[in-house]
Amino acid sequence: MAAATAAQPRSSKTESYVDNKRKEDIRQANIKAARAVADAVRTSLGPKGMDKMISTANGEVIITNDGATILNKMEVLQPAAKMLVDLSKSQDAAAGDGTTTVVVIAGALLKQCLLLLTNGIHPTVISDSLHKASTKAVDVLTAMAVPLELSDRESLIKSASTSLNSKVVSQYSTLLAPLAVDSVLSVVDPAKPDMVDLRDIKIVKKLGGTVDDTELVKGLVFDKKASHAAGGPTRMENAKIAVIQFQISPPKTDIEQSIVVSDYTQMDRILKEERNYILGMIKKIKTTGCNVLLIQKSILRDAVTDLSLHYLAKAKIMVIKDVERDDIEFITKTLNCLPIANIEHFRAEKLGHAALVEEVSLGDGKIVKVTGIKDMGRTTTVLIRGSNQLVIDEAERSLHDALCVVRCLVSKRFLIAGGGAPEIELSRQLGAWSKVLHGMEGYCVRSFAEALEVVPYTLAENAGLNPIAIVTELRNRHAQGEINAGINVRKGQITNILEENVVQPLLVSTSAITLATECVRMILKIDDIVNVR
Amino acid sequence: MAIEKILKDDASEEKGERARMASFVGAIAITDLVKTTLGPKGMDKILQSTGRGHGVTVTNDGATILKSLHIDNPAAKVLIDISKVQDDEVGDGTTSVVVLAGELLREAEKLVAAKIHPMTIISGYRMAAECARNALLQRVVDNKENAEKFKSDLMKIAMTTLSSKILSQDKEHFAQLAVDAVMRLKGSTNLEAIQIIKKPGGSLMDSFLDEGFILDKKIGLGQPKRIENAKILVANTAMDTDKVKIYGARVRVDSMSKVAEIEGAEKEKMREKVQKIIAHGINCFVNRQLIYNFPEELFADAGVLAIEHADFDGIERLALVTGGEIASTFDNPESVKIGHCKLIEEIMIGEDKLIHFSGVEMGQACTIVLRGASHHVLDEAERSLHDALCVLSQTVNDTRVLLGGGWPEMVMAKEVDELARKTPGKKSHAIEAFSRALVAIPTIIADNAGLDSADLVAQLRAAHHKEGCNAGIDVISGSVGDMAELGISESFKVKQAVLLSATEAAEMILRVDEIITCAPRQREDRM
Repeated sequence: MAAATAAQPRSSKTESYVDNKRKEDIRQANIKAARAVADAVRTSLGPKGMDKMISTANGEVIITNDGATILNKMEVLQPAAKMLVDLSKSQDAAAGDGTTTVVVIAGALLKQCLLLLTNGIHPTVISDSLHKASTKAVDVLTAMAVPLELSDRESLIKSASTSLNSKVVSQYSTLLAPLAVDSVLSVVDPAKPDMVDLRDIKIVKKLGGTVDDTELVKGLVFDKKASHAAGGPTRMENAKIAVIQFQISPPKTDIEQSIVVSDYTQMDRILKEERNYILGMIKKIKTTGCNVLLIQKSILRDAVTDLSLHYLAKAKIMVIKDVERDDIEFITKTLNCLPIANIEHFRAEKLGHAALVEEVSLGDGKIVKVTGIKDMGRTTTVLIRGSNQLVIDEAERSLHDALCVVRCLVSKRFLIAGGGAPEIELSRQLGAWSKVLHGMEGYCVRSFAEALEVVPYTLAENAGLNPIAIVTELRNRHAQGEINAGINVRKGQITNILEENVVQPLLVSTSAITLATECVRMILKIDDIVNVR
Repeated sequence: MAIEKILKDDASEEKGERARMASFVGAIAITDLVKTTLGPKGMDKILQSTGRGHGVTVTNDGATILKSLHIDNPAAKVLIDISKVQDDEVGDGTTSVVVLAGELLREAEKLVAAKIHPMTIISGYRMAAECARNALLQRVVDNKENAEKFKSDLMKIAMTTLSSKILSQDKEHFAQLAVDAVMRLKGSTNLEAIQIIKKPGGSLMDSFLDEGFILDKKIGLGQPKRIENAKILVANTAMDTDKVKIYGARVRVDSMSKVAEIEGAEKEKMREKVQKIIAHGINCFVNRQLIYNFPEELFADAGVLAIEHADFDGIERLALVTGGEIASTFDNPESVKIGHCKLIEEIMIGEDKLIHFSGVEMGQACTIVLRGASHHVLDEAERSLHDALCVLSQTVNDTRVLLGGGWPEMVMAKEVDELARKTPGKKSHAIEAFSRALVAIPTIIADNAGLDSADLVAQLRAAHHKEGCNAGIDVISGSVGDMAELGISESFKVKQAVLLSATEAAEMILRVDEIITCAPRQREDRM
């Protein structure tokens, strides 16, 4: 590295002149790199899409079908390719689902742009036309959409299962889809019906069992054991729960201190004092009636010692230690209690109440469940089970996508057909629209329309169908006015996809189109790559 | 005996022709690099960092490109400096200034080749610049008196500035945002009061202007999420522990209970501190440093909203807009200035929760929340918006306005041409060259848009032969159009700064006849 920097100043004297003739080459190289990224994830689109196995630098193996995750782990270096990775990330943030679709659309658009560029159309003209086409596309999609009521649980479940069907865990979609819907609906605040904070849904993963055992817990789940030292209780009915942020251990001051022991008898005294000190704290806790303690992890000193655990067990107080500081907010919100940062403030009104706290053995580990919480906050916990870590991780990602889908529906209450139907309809309508436009614009919009056919084409291809036959058939059906005709991958034919219950939120489709266009326009406008400090 | 070495090892010297040549080549290379970004159809560049992380920036902003370049050529560095100065002074026209300087040098190179002394060229350029400035002064429009018209001028300027940037598609939306934000400033050029927050997700159209201040932080546990008529104390103080900051200080005790006592005393100290803070009669406490669990709980008990770990920028701005002062000791409540605002509440943008202070003391303050597909888009949008804000705030002070689209350059070129005809002597060649350099700007704008520049510029020149013509290049339709009708305007201050600093830079480089490169400092090879 040092050699490289040392060599830099000398060579740059002659290299400061950059030949601008390479503009075209740069643009082509960018488009090619971006398309290579798009091609990498293309095969994982749709319900019959394939998974990718990624082995990361530290030897970890991930199997996934989620576009955002694949791209995130692919360490691309080329700047334009990086932009596609970012694109999928933003789709993840905006809609949570359709992360593969957005990249595939961008790839197809770039392919068409390359053609237009070789025809000698100025990049800014293409860019402007793409923008127009995408605004029009959003209008078309909105016109196609079906409004939805939140009370319509069936439709919500349908769209969640559409999202889940393309994942590894698709066979469990009947279980996971209602689960996703219920968990999102349970955290919707009636005061702000459009807002869903997914952080109010906690996902706990536990190895063992199968995905079938995944469950929604009305309450809290800790992926931890209750403390077993000295035979403390592991099951507590009518629990009074305290979340504490202080430590039950011998005192430690912030300034450095040392205890000077000058003779043997003092040692005994110190040991006794330590015991008394801890006992005093525990008595205070006991007097408030608290019988379950959640103790925040401490980096400065031991949160609990063997001695204090022993006394707590004697006092019949159940202890769960090493709770992360980040989780405290979620826990206090759920339990409807306040964290206690000092023993002096340990008062009964700060406690949370639950009908039952118990330790349950699951597979090879144990978890602690808190159920029957009094005045529970608007939170919910999902416990994911699976036979191996890879499945669990993938199930978590899939569930996250499904949750996002439901969230999209909560914030924008429109549904649209899936299975390639909206894309082919867009392609048809934009194609017709391009004919009334003048000049280059019409030409570019037509290319945009053609690019959108990539989604049904890829869906069919991944499902092992004949893509050309399927896409032409689809076009035909749409031309006859069946705007909801789409690919039914299970039957391997074209049906009215709305009747097949394959639906997705409008927001996913619209944001995929607008984000992909925005990214493509950005790539088009680049004519040089400059190396800088 | 010939003197063998005057300079140190590795130091080099370039003289006369060679030195001048090196300057020209360097300056022209820089110009060529940025000139494709000029104008509404200018292209963007990817800046790929060679440092760690290989960060990528996509930008159209001349100043940003130039300041991140590796440059070794001294003349090129001069150009980068003027672009920086332009950025600091007026905020926009950073590309134009470099391109104009580069074109002036390109013309000068030809003149030098034709054996005209650099000093003659310089004095010609000076005359020409003066004449060009006067030409512009005669044609400026000043709508200071008419508020309605002035506002529309501002809108036009904002749109013109934004049209060459990534925000061009939504330029009306953003122009409105920028004008609203600048109008709130009421004439001050303190852009600090305008806060820009970037949040990925959504599209650019979802960006909005919010009156008030937004802090990207969370409210502490168990504290009120909404406060009306807030009294805010902004502080930079340690809320973990008040430590004795003497190195090696330690306490010796002889029993456990003493330790417990000390711990109790420490807690007590913290409690006192919190009490003191609360005694200021506040209901919102913002600290730059961490607030530990214990004081957080105390604040929660007192019903005070406490925000920890606000970044430095955040608290300074918060103090500014709420009219408070950053405090670090709390013994004299009278001497601490407390900020006020009407309402504090938690809002949600995208997936994140933020804290919103509305109805702040300083009415000028506002926040622009940018939304966009990715970080690249957001960063570039911020730069573009910043340019627009700078130009607008300058225009509010200097209300003179010009038309855009190559119009000012053509006006200047025409006057300068006239001058050339009147001036006797070699200088007239230099003055003519100046006019050619000015015409290069509309030429480049047309070239970047993929138009036939030779044809368009000739048409434009012909159109400008008439008195009081408003013709400029209409890039959208690819023809010569009336700039007043199309609503393309630029700030006079920006144009003037471009003209003057470009001329000065060119002059400076022309004067050089020797480049001495000092010996690089020897560095030990660290591997």
